[in-house]
Amino acid sequence: MDKNKMREFARNNVVTMMFIILCAVCMVFSGYSPSYVMYELFGRLSRNMFIVLSLIIPIVAGMGINFAITTGAMAAQISCLLVLEWGISGIAGFGVAVLLTVPLATLFGWLIGKLFNKMKGQEMIGGLVIGYFANGLYQLLFLFIFDNIIPIKNPNLTIKGSTGIANTMDLSKDGGIAAALDKLWRLPFHQAVLVFAGIIALLLIFGYVKSHKKNQKRLGIQLVALAVVAVITQFGPVKELFAMVNVPMVTFGCVAVLCLFNVVIMRTKLGQQFRAVGQSGTVANASGINVNHVRIIAIVFSTVLAGWGQLIFVQNMGAFQTYGAHGQVGLYAGAAILVGGASVVRATNVQALLGTVLFHLMFILAPAAGKNLFGDAAIGEYFRVFLCYGVIAVALVMHAWSENARKKKAAAGEEK
Amino acid sequence: MNKLKIKKSQKIACVLIILVAVIFGCVGFYGMSARSSQKGSEILSSMRLQAILDTAGTGAIDAYVAAEKAEATARVREEGGGMTEIREATAKAEEEARASAEKEGIGSVDLSEIDTVPLAKALDVLATAQTEYFEEESAAQAAYIEEHADDAAVESAEDIAAEEVPAEDMGGEGAGEDAGADMEMEMAEETVDLSEFEATEEMLALAEKVDEAFNGLCEEIKIVFPALTDDILATLKDTILNTVSQQGDTFEIQYDRAYSLSGLNPGMTGMIMRQGRTLATSAVGLIILALAVLFYTPLVKKLGIPRLVIGLFYIFLCLMAFIYNLSLPGQISNTLVRLGMNGVLVLAMLPGIQCGISLNLGLPIGIIGGLLGGLLCIEFGFHGWLGFLFAIVVGMAISAVTGYLYGMLLNKLKGSEMTVTTYVGFSIVSLMCIAWLVLPFQSKIMKWPLGNGLRTTIGLQTSYRHLLNDFLSFKIFGITIPTGLLLFFALCCVLVWLFMRSKTGIAMSASGANPRFATATGINVDKMRIIGTMLSTMLAAVGIIVYAQSFGFMQLYQAPRQMGFLAASAILLGGATTSRAKISHVIIGTFLFQGVLTLGMPVANAVVPQSTISEVFRIIISQGIILYALTKSGGDSRG
Repeated sequence: MDKNKMREFARNNVVTMMFIILCAVCMVFSGYSPSYVMYELFGRLSRNMFIVLSLIIPIVAGMGINFAITTGAMAAQISCLLVLEWGISGIAGFGVAVLLTVPLATLFGWLIGKLFNKMKGQEMIGGLVIGYFANGLYQLLFLFIFDNIIPIKNPNLTIKGSTGIANTMDLSKDGGIAAALDKLWRLPFHQAVLVFAGIIALLLIFGYVKSHKKNQKRLGIQLVALAVVAVITQFGPVKELFAMVNVPMVTFGCVAVLCLFNVVIMRTKLGQQFRAVGQSGTVANASGINVNHVRIIAIVFSTVLAGWGQLIFVQNMGAFQTYGAHGQVGLYAGAAILVGGASVVRATNVQALLGTVLFHLMFILAPAAGKNLFGDAAIGEYFRVFLCYGVIAVALVMHAWSENARKKKAAAGEEK
Repeated sequence: MNKLKIKKSQKIACVLIILVAVIFGCVGFYGMSARSSQKGSEILSSMRLQAILDTAGTGAIDAYVAAEKAEATARVREEGGGMTEIREATAKAEEEARASAEKEGIGSVDLSEIDTVPLAKALDVLATAQTEYFEEESAAQAAYIEEHADDAAVESAEDIAAEEVPAEDMGGEGAGEDAGADMEMEMAEETVDLSEFEATEEMLALAEKVDEAFNGLCEEIKIVFPALTDDILATLKDTILNTVSQQGDTFEIQYDRAYSLSGLNPGMTGMIMRQGRTLATSAVGLIILALAVLFYTPLVKKLGIPRLVIGLFYIFLCLMAFIYNLSLPGQISNTLVRLGMNGVLVLAMLPGIQCGISLNLGLPIGIIGGLLGGLLCIEFGFHGWLGFLFAIVVGMAISAVTGYLYGMLLNKLKGSEMTVTTYVGFSIVSLMCIAWLVLPFQSKIMKWPLGNGLRTTIGLQTSYRHLLNDFLSFKIFGITIPTGLLLFFALCCVLVWLFMRSKTGIAMSASGANPRFATATGINVDKMRIIGTMLSTMLAAVGIIVYAQSFGFMQLYQAPRQMGFLAASAILLGGATTSRAKISHVIIGTFLFQGVLTLGMPVANAVVPQSTISEVFRIIISQGIILYALTKSGGDSRG
């Protein structure tokens, strides 16, 4: 029995384990110093985690990986453009962009949800195609509607000598919103750990007081573990390792809030409905849940969150490619969450966070490792693109495989 | 169709549209006929005259000013002034001269005040002479281009190869590893260098005639502006000649030029004349639209909304091409070439759909087999028909193996093929990107001159470029028919059609349509699916070789990735669903899809110059059609 469990665990996490090994190998061959890798990694985590977390709700609702979050990113970029055009700078501009993203992404999400309801079982490929399709509309909007039909007055935003929006949108100029969220409150890593440890401890105690079970032992272990982690990071080599890391507190705070949100919403009635629909549409329907409606809500949530995630991404980068920044969002986020051990039917916060860490570690290390191993950086680049697609392909194949096996088993059981 | 149900609102809309169309048509035809009538030509020639006189007038003022300036300089010099004084004096003289010229009206002339008849006559002579000259010139140039087309193709291929840099900088995160996610599909334009073109004798003779006519015009102009000297007229010659007529002129362009240069108001008749062609063409379009509105229901039933919309769009594009005077024969030959070149790839979709694996978005797997075949052909130095056959045979052999494995995989994943195949295809394409870098090919044609790996585009001029295109090709009404290409496509279609009617083919279709029933009748469904997948993959290999020979290049790296989507959208546009397809769907779909693309680009460039709007429309159309098919296929089956 134990052996079976082990095998089950191994099968469910084969992608994750493969990735850990790959990361370790690449780490050895890349020749980067650990503290530099950590510095790079935290930069990437702060801008990518949010968007990966936005994938969880549709997975729980049984729609697989929502590759259509590219439309959320497009909504974010449209609001970014408008904020730049109006010249609202700093955190106020960021706030306006966040607010503007909500109606846009809600509209997109609603439309996508409607479409998804017409292609049940094909949501993932549908999402991919929607992403491409929306990209066409987006180009139409940015090349021919803005600056022609809707005038854009800010000369920095348009292509000089022609019409349309410029290729790169620079947020770091005057009136930009670059790093608006990041620079609110930055702390060195060891202090940041203390702050977060404190907050988590408070939350744990709060949860203990509220809960009915009063599991003192569990609380104690959790608190002690937290304290140990907090103390370790203050001293010696660990502190050295993270010496270059400067944590944007508010950004990671947002990620933490989203994690909490994902947990809390699953305990509400709506969350239960998500889960019911995800497990079986027919059963959910029979128990009086409006399946189509719930699915649309799930997609709307995901799209809006992805839009916010993209805003966090662009304010961190300080500039973005107008016609390319959204293109790979779905692919990277989808691959990241799968690397963390999620499948197309179940996903948790931990998987999303772990996946983001591993995936971006790979992203940092692969080109350098490729260069050192094969003498050609391009090989590393292609290798990481291959990994993105490969991870998704393997996860999908494994899922379809086990699903079919289960169906067969069920059919065999019925016959008996 | 026993009874047509036509709603009242449809009828009203139809009548209204037809009414507008009739008005447009009448006005348009009036305008068209006005062009050749007395009044019409008068308007144009008076505008042209005014434009020329304005030019000449400016010249006259310049001459007058120059004379004044020379006088002033001479005066100052006589008085013994230095350079500064001369400069001051000339500036002053110029100012005064311009003012006085304006006052006396040296440079401007009112058409009603002078006798325009001899001027107009001289102008007409000039215009006719020029038209003749340009006709001769363009004919001679066309002949020259035809003669030298082959050299140019080779040259341009070399240019492209030289311009590419091996650095494959795919950008970091955020920029995305390929910003557009779409490859550039446009044909590399083969432009012939005209710098070595020499005028023929006929042209020289006609040019003399033009000069003569111009001199006649000059005499007339001199009467109006006595201040003009021969020298100044000689400098103005180019401007005047360009005003009158240019190569490749149409009525509209001439009219616009004369209108903008003269600043005359041509009045209502002129406006109608200018827009006559546009209006008449719009009338035709509106009538078609009215018919579509009237028969909306049966049309939608028969064609489906997307095909109807795209079909109307195609007609719209044709009309636009007519309005903008684009060469229609050239576009049609382009469309035919593209039909043949993409046809086989689209055909590859068919066995996949029929055997039940739905849209084979893993087409890149087969394409890579074909590319390998082509590469091996170059590597071993085969060329001509032998090379082409070798590439096809090797490509098919490779993709038969990959197709078999791929079919086995798909058998394990019944029900979710499309999503999985897309990503399997994508990951294999990116895996092959690494392979292109490390595979030990030696041929210099294929490798980067510096650095490792194969080039992103490999020219085929040494192997089998345009082999099918040029085979038995002929020209009719200015349309070049790529006979070999079309024949090959037809051959593939017939073979697939025959196969579909064979015992295996029918068994395959049955297992795709209803697997349970097929199993019950003793068909090995899994085997049939593998056969279908293999066939699809092998056809993709042939398809890419045909595509490459027509395109002139093989594209490696990211290029094959989106081809599955393009082929899928073409066959869906032809009327196939995700579970049913016929040969006719392949042909209609490819023609419509490629027709819209080929016609869309020049039309879009005529409407919005230098834009990528046709590229944008390509994305919207191709992805939109797949999306539509998906919404039809999924249904509420899994409620």
